[in-house]
Order: sequence, then C-alpha cells, then structure tokens
Amino acid sequence: MACFRLYIGLMRRMRSQGVKETGLMPGEDLAHFAIEYARSRGASYAEARHEYQIGEQMILKNGVLDALSFSEDSGIGVRVLANGGLAFSSTNRLNKGDVRDAVNSAVKKAKGAARANPIWFVKEETVVTEWSVPEKVRIIDVPTDLKIRDLVELDKAVLDLKIKIPARIFVMSHNRIRKLLVNSEGSEIRSYSPRIRLYYYLTVAGEGDAEQSYRNYGWSGGWEALDELHLTDKVIEEAKSLQQTLEKGKKSPEGKMDLIVGPQVSGIASHESCGHPTEADRILGREASQAGKSFITPGMIGKRIGSEHVNVVDDPTLANAIAYYAYDDEGVKARRRYLYKAGRINEFLQNRETAARLGTRSNGSARATNYDREAIVRMANTFVEPKDWGVEEMLEEVKSGIYMKSFMEWNIDDKRWNGKYVGREAYLIENGEVKHPVRKTVLEVTTPAFWSAVDAVGKDLEFEAGFCGKSDPTQALDAAFGGPTMRLRNIALR
Amino acid sequence: MEDYASRIVRKALSLGCEDAVADIYETNNFQIRFSQNQIDITNSWKEQAASLFLVHGKRVVLTDIRDLSKSDEAVEKVVGIAKISQKNLEYGGIAKGPFKYRSLAADKRITSLSEGSDFVYSAVNAALAEGAKETAGTFLRNDQTHYLATSNGVEARDRRANLYLSIRALAGLESSGHGIECATQFAKFKPERAGEKAGHIATMARNPKRGEAGRFDVIFEPLFLGSMADQMAIRDSAYSVMAGLSPFGKKIGKRVAANIVTIYDDATADGRGRKRFDAEGVPARRTAMIQNGVLKTHLHNTSTAKIFKTKTTANAGLVGPEPHQIVLKPGDWKKEELFEECKDGVYVTNTWYTRYQNYTTGDFSTIPRDGIFRVKKGEIVGTWKDVRLTDNLLHLWQNVKALSKETHEVEWWGEVAVPSFMPYALATKIGFTRSAE
Repeated sequence: MACFRLYIGLMRRMRSQGVKETGLMPGEDLAHFAIEYARSRGASYAEARHEYQIGEQMILKNGVLDALSFSEDSGIGVRVLANGGLAFSSTNRLNKGDVRDAVNSAVKKAKGAARANPIWFVKEETVVTEWSVPEKVRIIDVPTDLKIRDLVELDKAVLDLKIKIPARIFVMSHNRIRKLLVNSEGSEIRSYSPRIRLYYYLTVAGEGDAEQSYRNYGWSGGWEALDELHLTDKVIEEAKSLQQTLEKGKKSPEGKMDLIVGPQVSGIASHESCGHPTEADRILGREASQAGKSFITPGMIGKRIGSEHVNVVDDPTLANAIAYYAYDDEGVKARRRYLYKAGRINEFLQNRETAARLGTRSNGSARATNYDREAIVRMANTFVEPKDWGVEEMLEEVKSGIYMKSFMEWNIDDKRWNGKYVGREAYLIENGEVKHPVRKTVLEVTTPAFWSAVDAVGKDLEFEAGFCGKSDPTQALDAAFGGPTMRLRNIALR
Repeated sequence: MEDYASRIVRKALSLGCEDAVADIYETNNFQIRFSQNQIDITNSWKEQAASLFLVHGKRVVLTDIRDLSKSDEAVEKVVGIAKISQKNLEYGGIAKGPFKYRSLAADKRITSLSEGSDFVYSAVNAALAEGAKETAGTFLRNDQTHYLATSNGVEARDRRANLYLSIRALAGLESSGHGIECATQFAKFKPERAGEKAGHIATMARNPKRGEAGRFDVIFEPLFLGSMADQMAIRDSAYSVMAGLSPFGKKIGKRVAANIVTIYDDATADGRGRKRFDAEGVPARRTAMIQNGVLKTHLHNTSTAKIFKTKTTANAGLVGPEPHQIVLKPGDWKKEELFEECKDGVYVTNTWYTRYQNYTTGDFSTIPRDGIFRVKKGEIVGTWKDVRLTDNLLHLWQNVKALSKETHEVEWWGEVAVPSFMPYALATKIGFTRSAE
C-alpha cells in the first residue's frame, strides 16, 4: 500500500548535493572486505550493498517554505546465508571494525536461526557491470535557490487562479542514489539513479463545503522533469477541477451501470489488485503479519482473473519512470513482467529466495529503500498495458454511466480481494456525452469483478508516482503506477 | 556525545544562526522476522548520526550528519544552503531551556540482550497451542540513545530501550488473529500472551462468511481502537490542521467525541513511546487533547504554538508537532459487560489501510482484518469477512458508548504507528459496507 504520514515523512530522507556521478564512493573497499570476511566466518553466501544517497526536500505549505531538508546518507548493508539461516546487518560507520562487527552479527544470527527448512537462493548469472540514468539537466547543476523558485512559481500559478484554496502543501524532493552491490558469487554492479518527485495536497473551499486532492508525480532523470511532466499545467488543471466539482457537482447515481475510469484509477487498480497479490513473498506468507497475504496461491498461474482485454505488467526498465532500474538489489537483470496476461494470472514477482522456494527463476524484483534494509520482492512501474481505444470511442457506446477520471479515498484488504476507489473527479455520462460532475462516486468491488468488467482499453497511457509500503520496518519505496482509460461494463456504483 | 551535540550547536551559532538543535542518536537494534512458524531473517542495525536543525535569518534547514568527525564541515555546508533558502515568516523559535528532567533508566537486561529467538518461538508455540496452523511476525529489541543540545540552553540525554513482539496467527487462509506484546522492562515481557491472543482469535475466526452492509454497534479490540486513536492524534497536530489534513480546524472547545472519551498524549507513561523530552528539549508531559469529548488543544511545538497563540505542548517535531504516546482514559466496564451490552453488533479485532475522502470532514474508510465477529444479544454468533468500516472519524468517536477498565499497550506497523494504551470500546451505529461481486 502507499502509506505515509506526511509530517513524519517530511522529516526523513533529506538529501543534498555535492558528489560526482561516477567514480568510487568512500569506503567501497569495505563492501569487498565484508564479503570476504563473511565467507571466512562460514557464510555460504554473502552480499554487501554500499549506498550513498544524497538529496534535498522542500516543503511549501500555504506559500511558506517550512523547511529545506538535505542530507548525505551512506552505509553498508550485509546479507548472509549460513547454516540455512538468513541474516542482514548494516552500519553507517564506514570503517573496518564496524563492518566486521556487522558481519559477525549477521553470520552468528543466521547460524542461530535453526530453521527446519533451510533458506537458499536460486542460482542466477554472475554480473559485473555498471548502469546509470542520464540527466538532461543535472540536478547537481541546478542551484538550490532556483529549485525553490520553481516550487514557489508553481504555487503562485495556483494562487493566480483566484480560487479559494484555504490549504495547500507542495513537497518537492530529489534523491541521487549511488550504489555498489557485490556478492560472493562474483557479481559487482555499480549504479547511479537520480530521482525527482512532487506531491501535493490541495483543499478548495466552497460555501460550507470543501473538496480535496492528492497527486504524486515522479521521474528518473534530471531537473528536466519539471517540464517533461508538465507539473504546473497539471496542478492548475486539478485546482480548476476541484472548483468545478464543488460548484457543479451532483450526487452520483446508484446502481449497476457502465464505468469509464481514467489513467489514475487504472494505475491504482493495477498496483493494488494485481501487483501486490502477485508478489511471491506475499503468496508464500513471508509478509503475512504486516502487508498481508494474497488471494493468489502458488498453483493459480493460468487462472482467469479478468477479461481477455486485460494485460497488467510491471516493468522496471521504463525510461524515466521513477522506479527505473537495470539490475535489482540482488544483481539480477531487470525485465518486463506480465502479471496478468489476457485476463489470466501469468507471472509472480520473484526474488532469489522466493524463486528457490517456488522452483523458478528470479525476475529481478528485489529492492530495498536504502543500505539499511534487506531487499525484498517489490513492484517497480506497474501499469495496464494500453490498447487502441480512444476515450471518445469508449464514451460513444455508453448510454448511461460514470466517467471517473481520478480518485481520492482508496483502500484494499490485505489479501487484495476487496478494493475501494472513491471518485475525486467524476462525471455523469448520458447517451455517450459527458455531463455534469458527480461527487464521491463509490466503486467498491472485488478484484475479479473489476478486471472481468473491462471491455475496452485505451491508448492514453499515463503514470503517477507513489510510495509503496511493505516490510518491517516499513520500506516506503518509489513506485509508479499507470494505465490508459478503460471501460467497465455493468458494474455496481453508489 | 553530549559534547559533540553542543559543539555542533556552538559551530552553528558561530556562523550566524539564531537557533540550532543537534540530536545525536545512537541505535543498536535487532529484529527477528518470522513466518510459517520459522525465522526468516534477523536484521541488526548499528547507527550513529546527528539530526541537525538550523535557523539562519528565519531560513529553516534540516539535515543529518552521518560522519560526526566531519561535523564542522557539515554545519558550514548547511549554513551556506540556508543563506540561499527562503525565509519562513511563520517560524516562531525553539523552547527556552535549560529544563529539568525526570530520571529514567533503561533496563540493563534489555540493553544487554543479544538473542530473541526464544521469545519468537514462545509466541509461535502459544499460538499453535490455541489451534493456529501458521504464524508470522516480528520481534524487536530497541535500544537507542539521544543526546540533545540546543542554542537555548538544553543539554540532555535519553536512552530508550524496550522490547516488542507482533504476531499474526492463521487457522486458515481467511481465519486470522493478531497479538502485540510490548515492555520497557524485561521481566514484564511475555510474548506468549501475544501468541495466545493471536491464536485464540484465529481459531475463533474459522469459516468466515461474507459480512453485511449496514449500521451496527461495534466492540473494538484495543488494537483496532489504537488505529482510530492514532488517526485522532495525528490529525490533531497543528501541522495537520494548517495543511488542511485534519477535521479539527476551528474546533478547539467544541465537542468532537463522546463525553466518556478523554485522549492524552503522554510521553511520561511507561511504554514504548516514553521519552524524557521532545525534539526541542521540552520535558515530556501528559497533554489532554480531548477531555470528556471536547477538543482542548492541538499538539504544538514552539513555532506552531506561537501561530495559534498558545504554548507548546512538548510535541516537537521540528517541522511539525508529533504525538509521542496516546493514552485513552479507561472506563469502568468489564470486557464481558461490553459484549452483554451489544445486542446487534460486530466485534472487530484489527484494521488497516485507513484512508480519507476528505481530511477536513473526517470521512474515511478502513478495512477490518483478522477476526471479525457477528454479535447478537451479547453472544458471538458468527464470523465475518470482506467488510469495510466506512464512516466519519468524529462520528465514530462521538458514538463511543462504553470503555473497559482493562487497557493494553498496542503498536503495530503503519496502522498504530504511535505507541498507545487502549481499552476495549463499544460504539453505536457504525457504518459497514462491502464489495460488489
């Protein structure tokens, strides 16, 4: 789930500027030392992930820059297998003594796990490589005051609309991640991944009433993100839409009818009711106590879950998507995964541990938020694969229905069966025409009922970003979700 | 380390900062994650860093210093960035110290602990003995020390050590229960209690049927109620109010809950949220956010207090005030009496994924998980699944009819993020919805 508590999150992950994109990080030799030392202490497998994350975060609340946050964060995480047990240990004290302590701790605890069923990792290719994400406008070359100016101008553009906005908060951040992954099988992968994110809450007030919106956008690359994502245009459009909903919105009709959902709704459904239930660790129960399990069991590959029009994919290799990566945090090459294909469960997201248990191969889904967390099975950029319908074509064939372009409230149960999406921007459709806005259209539906109702998939693929929460401690990870406009037939709304 | 913190503050002042706070923290934690009744992984963390808050010409900058040996260099860099930042005209300063703090000692049996697998298997076996087939969860030994120095005379130290265990037990794919055990004293840590509770609820929850939509009386398990109290406390932060992320705007002095509801933020209570001071060094205290159903105050740091023309409630957070530990004043009902009072209702044990359509109105929904039981005439008559609690946060708290004498310390993942002490509660006319199939 995309879970975050705003003002606590604001305090964390503060980034700065100031290092070169290439070359050695301080203390890189410690990663190699950790591997060799772990092996000497009896680990059958060892990996070390040395990360150096730098960035900034700006919080503009009601036009006031509350705080500029920045940090440089570096450290080493070591994961070992020993005597069939698995352990992870990390330190930000980059010296041999502390790394040795971390390794000793991990090896000792792995040996002490006393598992009846030993943990092992499926064999994957040894890789020595490096990859990086290009920046058209290097983040490091944009002075901090100019970044602040960009944010202030975005806020000003919204204010210039002269709409009554009693509360607004914009959070802009960038994070540049340099990483070295080495393991005892000989893999050695260096990477550089710059990311930019903007999310905001807007409250637009009317006569004794208010509408709220939350949107979140992300980008892998440089400061060109602000233009490429058309952020100002999007925020202005959203503010106008909020006002229109307040002024002209009517009660949403109840009953079974056709529903056209916009890319934001397609995207959240792909993430929540396809991406999460196809995570292999969830299916195997490893996250049962927190993020939950899945309605999917290991034997359900091939089972129908939706109409033949539905392909949902997760693809870490999408250029500029916020969760882009070329190799995962276990050193496995990233690739596109068809999770639902032609309406059937097609593939699970796997890391080396789950793949070993399920008798398959990893598909490069292991990720961690930083050096101090174990890499577990995660989604990257999850979306409904577009097809060839235009939005107008879909509308033409709807006699009576709702066009839900976006949502505000949403949630889903921990087995990923019962989802709910409440319309933020939605309209009545009559005889193929979009009429007045409707307020708070509720789509509360089971996963197969949602995907089975899809009879048309558009070509207008769009993405938004989110913080995907999983694991314990929670790893709120960069994720993108998207899709095109879709049409669902004869579905219950209220 | 106190010297290091003070040195960082002095350096900041020498560079022209008007306010500075340095919080050096050392952590030495380990965690065991388990599932399928076995240990999956042990995580160990050993960290040392400083969180730094600087104000230069009303420009507020935050950073972490990871390499304390280079703190001077880091402070110079941060001040350089502050100079090109934008003024925060709402900034109202930090608390004036020095302060006196009550003495607190970490339990040495906790700080010296290096193994936790016995705790894990104690909880697992207790759940299995209740009839569960599968368990998963987390054990955590938390040991962190904060060394705080501020430019307003604070120099203080706080070592916080505690134990935590969370266990979910499953008696079937859709039959589960959850248990929590927390302690600041080793001798009081009884993980088998959490296992028993999780296993008991899971076994009771066998063969669930699809629940009904409608309005029902609801008995809340403390873990579920903790999530709802967590929402109240976070929404009561002055920061949430200013950001439009709260239903409490302009409601000071107004009724926001039933008369029997008194909710404190209490960092002095002996629990995992206990602290000696907040992020400005203000001594921990107990603050009634809601007293007898009436909203008494938002949670404040010095800066937000100035905006609201009041005093800090010792809840800094330097960007925004934060709750430390929530205490819901217990009632005088026995748990059994709550059930007897429930004629046509639902007993819910845990929830997750609470989300709002509108924070300013408090319209939200949340998804009960683990055991959900149908109650008629005081008796559990069936088990539900696949329902959603859809209501309004203030309506829910205004409809609390009875609270138990018995309270439990709860905290769980993202849902009960703030450590809390919660009784059982009975509330009336709470909305439930369910999915179309």
